[in-house]
Amino acid sequence: MQHVLTTDVYKTRHEEFKAFVALNVEPFAEQWDREQKIPEAVIAKLAKCGYLGCSLPAEYNGQGWDTVTFGLLNEALGRGSSALTGVLTVQAMVSMALLKWGTAEQKRKWLPPLARGEMIAAFALTEPGTGSDLQSVSTEFSRNSNGFILNGTKKWISCAQFAGMFLVFGKTEQRPVACLVSRDSPGLSVEPITDLMGFRAAGLAQLHFENVEVPAANVIGKPGFALSHVAPVGLHYGRVSTACSALGLLRGCFEESIAHAAKRKIGNKTVGDIGMIRSLIARMGTDLEAARLLCHSACRAEDEHLPEVFEKTFMAKYFTSRAAVGAASDAVQIRGASGCHGDSPTSRFYRDAKIMEIIEGTTQIHEDVLGKMFVGRAGPLGRPRRV
Amino acid sequence: MTVIDEKEIKETVRRFILGSVNIPDFKDDDNLFESGIVNSLFAVQLMTFIEMTFAIEVATDDLDIENFKSLNAMTAFVLKKNEN
Repeated sequence: MQHVLTTDVYKTRHEEFKAFVALNVEPFAEQWDREQKIPEAVIAKLAKCGYLGCSLPAEYNGQGWDTVTFGLLNEALGRGSSALTGVLTVQAMVSMALLKWGTAEQKRKWLPPLARGEMIAAFALTEPGTGSDLQSVSTEFSRNSNGFILNGTKKWISCAQFAGMFLVFGKTEQRPVACLVSRDSPGLSVEPITDLMGFRAAGLAQLHFENVEVPAANVIGKPGFALSHVAPVGLHYGRVSTACSALGLLRGCFEESIAHAAKRKIGNKTVGDIGMIRSLIARMGTDLEAARLLCHSACRAEDEHLPEVFEKTFMAKYFTSRAAVGAASDAVQIRGASGCHGDSPTSRFYRDAKIMEIIEGTTQIHEDVLGKMFVGRAGPLGRPRRV
Repeated sequence: MTVIDEKEIKETVRRFILGSVNIPDFKDDDNLFESGIVNSLFAVQLMTFIEMTFAIEVATDDLDIENFKSLNAMTAFVLKKNEN
């Protein structure tokens, strides 16, 4: 988003983030992808820099950074490793849902360790049979004298392999409920999911809850509002994070492509001398600029408390993730055989980009939501309306 | 918005709903959740609109369907929060 940065503070922060990524992420991202694991040491570095609690207020040991800065951090990390950015994504999803809907006591207890990165959280919403249709969650919280007994299964949960706390969504007496569940709860087992196409190091897992006791004090928000109010706050920050992470991946595709096009010789010409390659790069560079503007607009809308923040965030995630898929495909094409090898970041970009189109709402869900929003603007008489 | 009255709140929220959901109109006391006008995705958008437009914060204690079920309910809720 550097072209739309208007203050020196943003520029300085972005440079700081990019320097962190160049030193601590980019040289190792292929190895993490191959080993399907992010080392604890790099998560500890994110924590030490204050990145894992960057959006939380200082009173909870966070950095208190605004959403534009949060977006810049995600963009910089996304250039290096989508899987690592996933840690930031889910930490923000849980932290911001807790900040909005937690009681004063819950916030005092849980937010400082989350902000300091002493505790990694995961957002346990998706189930084996429930994805986009949130209302169909079947995880059951049965009431007992101390709170709830939890039974059910969650699947495709990012960072669940190493998270210490889960924000789990389910139902109690047919009403949606969200509860914090500690990893060390008896009856909870974590089954790693491996061999994904992309996000291979993001620590995905399946969670099995068998008669897990959950104290009533761990309910976030009120029963009945978990899917309409608690989950959407987390998903909103997840969408901001994913959009900006995809923007970083898109920048990576562009940077790798122009560098290759400029130096790779074909006879006495370079790859960049070929008109068809220039076409691919022209589209990639233009998409990159458009995506920057959309992501920046969404982050600004959040910081300026604009009511259209949801619409802007949906558009940013929708456009940027699709553009990232196209750019990654073209980046591999420009690199040729070397772009297909596991040592090349373009190979990883290609696999990770597709995941961006699926997480925090698929492209098709975004089209459905945005289409409804736009048609709704026409009003009841369907007259053309200036927008 | 420093000085707000009931009518102004009601019309502001009505415009937002009609500008977001493709329905012809609705009555002030229609139950927006039971009628399906407000679904799970739109609920938090509507809440955010109310928070940002009227400079109030919807807290956990405010999570009560009675505060949001209709245009009349939302108007009363905004007025009550402003009094506080």
